Amino acid sequence: MTQDEPTAGHAAARLDARLSELPLEVAPGRDLWPDIAARIDERAPPVAPATRRAAWLWQAAAAVVLVAGSSLLTASLLDRSVLQQQSAVPPVPANAHATVVMPAAFGPAGQLDPEYVATRRQLTQVLDQRIAALPTSARAKLEFNLGELRRAADEINAALAEQPGDPLLEELLLKTYQDELAVLSNVSQLTNSLANEPANMPVSPTGERMQL
Amino acid sequence: MAHAGEVVDELQRVREAAKERRLVTSAADGSAVAFEQLYRRHCARIHALCLRMTGNVATAEDCTQEAFVQAWRNLRRFETRSAFGTWLHRIAVNAVLQQTRRRAESLGAEDSVEREVADVLADHLTVDPGRSRDLETAIAGLPPGARHVLVLVGVYGHSHEEASQLLGIAVGTCKAQLHRARALLSARLGETEWNHDAG
Repeated sequence: MTQDEPTAGHAAARLDARLSELPLEVAPGRDLWPDIAARIDERAPPVAPATRRAAWLWQAAAAVVLVAGSSLLTASLLDRSVLQQQSAVPPVPANAHATVVMPAAFGPAGQLDPEYVATRRQLTQVLDQRIAALPTSARAKLEFNLGELRRAADEINAALAEQPGDPLLEELLLKTYQDELAVLSNVSQLTNSLANEPANMPVSPTGERMQL
Repeated sequence: MAHAGEVVDELQRVREAAKERRLVTSAADGSAVAFEQLYRRHCARIHALCLRMTGNVATAEDCTQEAFVQAWRNLRRFETRSAFGTWLHRIAVNAVLQQTRRRAESLGAEDSVEREVADVLADHLTVDPGRSRDLETAIAGLPPGARHVLVLVGVYGHSHEEASQLLGIAVGTCKAQLHRARALLSARLGETEWNHDAG
């Protein structure tokens, strides 16, 4: 081995670096969809065995997509009395946020994890206390999106009342709660860091301290 | 200050994830329209994977197509706790492996095919296109087993455990194939670069 020859480790590292620079997306030279569409039309679509369940899943999933103001599960499908019987609904804390979502019951004996409920309540309280520190536009977006997430969770809860134990609905609901918790946690961290900023930090004429 | 931007990014990510879940649920319910949107979102990534794993443009298109058809047929088995893209990636790898077994050929060994693949990939190269094109050509020229491992571990960042599961081989085999792939690539790229310098 001469002085100019790289070591095997160095060569491997250099090769790995080059491999990592390669594009991960390369569109096909032609649109493959027409051929795919023709092939999937040959077979029956993957229809769920229980049509009624499929309808619920669609509506619940649509709720998760945060369609503003939508109530995809109509009143005729909702039986609030069933909801009350099948969902063990603990009382909402008096100091909780006005739009706090109704906790879900996963089956006759199932409830949300108490640790999760406590964390969520704590984060919601933090949000209530600190939301004023956010810029107006960020606050509006945050409130809107949290509201949508919570509405989605409400509607999936209602669907679960009709279809207790449905695994996909439960999955959707859990994911929605996780999304909400992630947003709350993120805001909590954000406002924490804001609180730690120097008091003489420049403030815009509208009172906004952060750039979007 | 990027904090508020991060919150908005997080919300955007949540929205995108929610939109994808809706599309998957709708497609599983039989909506070809929703499935086409999923295809549009993921086809470039799946096609790139197939292109590199097969080393052949026509076979890559066949495998991409097959992956989406199989995804459609098995959508109801998809568990939403994992990402749709990850699930689709796995299906695409299976499609490539089945195609490789079915055809029992090493198209990547043909120089004309290597050039064809490199030409397609070269259009998407942003970093030092000349050298990257040589790299793509060299990858396409690897023996299938070594190429599959190199693409999954080296390009797509899978661990040896993940790649061995995807390919249905032992972890030790996976490591050996990667070692082989690196050695072959280094030798080939060394020659190419030396020739460039000499030229």
